[in-house]
Amino acid sequence: MRVTLGICAAVVVGVSVLAGCAPMRVSSHVDRERDFTLYRTFDWGPADSLPAGDPRLERNAFFQDHIQGAIERNMAAKGYRRADPPAVPDVRVHFHAVIDRRIEVNLLDYQPGNCSRDECEPEVSEHDEGTLVVDMIDVRTNRLVWRGWAQDSVEGVLTNQDRLARKIEDAVRLMFARLPAAR
Amino acid sequence: MQSIRSSVSLSVLAIASLVLASCAPVRVSSSLGRDVHLDRYHTYAWAAPDSFSTGDPRLDSNTFFIERVQRAVDGHLRQKGFERAGEGQPDFVVHYHARVQQRLDSTELRPGEPGCEAGGCRPFVYDAGTLLIDFVDARSNQLIWRGWAERGLEGVVDDQTWMDATVDDAVRRIMERFPS
Repeated sequence: MRVTLGICAAVVVGVSVLAGCAPMRVSSHVDRERDFTLYRTFDWGPADSLPAGDPRLERNAFFQDHIQGAIERNMAAKGYRRADPPAVPDVRVHFHAVIDRRIEVNLLDYQPGNCSRDECEPEVSEHDEGTLVVDMIDVRTNRLVWRGWAQDSVEGVLTNQDRLARKIEDAVRLMFARLPAAR
Repeated sequence: MQSIRSSVSLSVLAIASLVLASCAPVRVSSSLGRDVHLDRYHTYAWAAPDSFSTGDPRLDSNTFFIERVQRAVDGHLRQKGFERAGEGQPDFVVHYHARVQQRLDSTELRPGEPGCEAGGCRPFVYDAGTLLIDFVDARSNQLIWRGWAERGLEGVVDDQTWMDATVDDAVRRIMERFPS
């Protein structure tokens, strides 16, 4: 058991060090029985019935515009066409963004040479982490068929439009690379 | 070169996450209500899923996750001889709650062990996921039985196959404790 814990500790250290320069984390869940090639058109989902996001982003027009634009471009690239009203779309897309405080342990302090033997105190810090979630709902069955997300630190990003725009582009592009294509 | 380096560090990260999650202990527990006569219960129904946040935006209103939990619990209840109620009132209602919380932990490391060299123990952070299953008497609204499992979730939610397997495993461990 002690050996196991030791290995765990070593692994945890490895993961945390890598996480210090962590890239954006992107993944998705999908309805594996769904044939996405039957889909043609999409539209935006009604916003009110869905989970609320962080007010710093929900009320940020720049953020909302950029994200809608990025999703529309990436949907088009995957073969989904915007439905012309009053035509009913095959799928509806909805996104929301959440910001959480996350703790991290700075392990650089433990590197030899960074501290003398008696002063190696772990440095525990916090940062704001943003999660962007995009849901795709089958209009006919009203069921979730795909959910993609991207998670990354948003420290210094919310107040810098260029950095925010780049983060959004990256998040949506990487996420939509995982979306099954329409016909 | 850049891409080789980043893919190497990515695979190191992936392997590390796998090892990490496998050594995160799973804690399971349960409690049976007082004066409960389980032989009175035959049929059940599901309560509506929680509307509040799980603490992890990837899992909130995630029907892939919700349905996996329900299907796993349905399977174990069927095996134990319970039936999902049709039209009539069920004997008991099944609720589940999922919660993800970031934990800061250094208590499992002791001085002298790896990870605890001079200067003290290295704390580490991880996401702990808790799945709690309640059976509630449909008439009296009293809790009949509660079971829960908790484990580290590092890398689990991002991998749908792994998440499904983790849900199945947690539900199995919880339901094994249900007396029948």
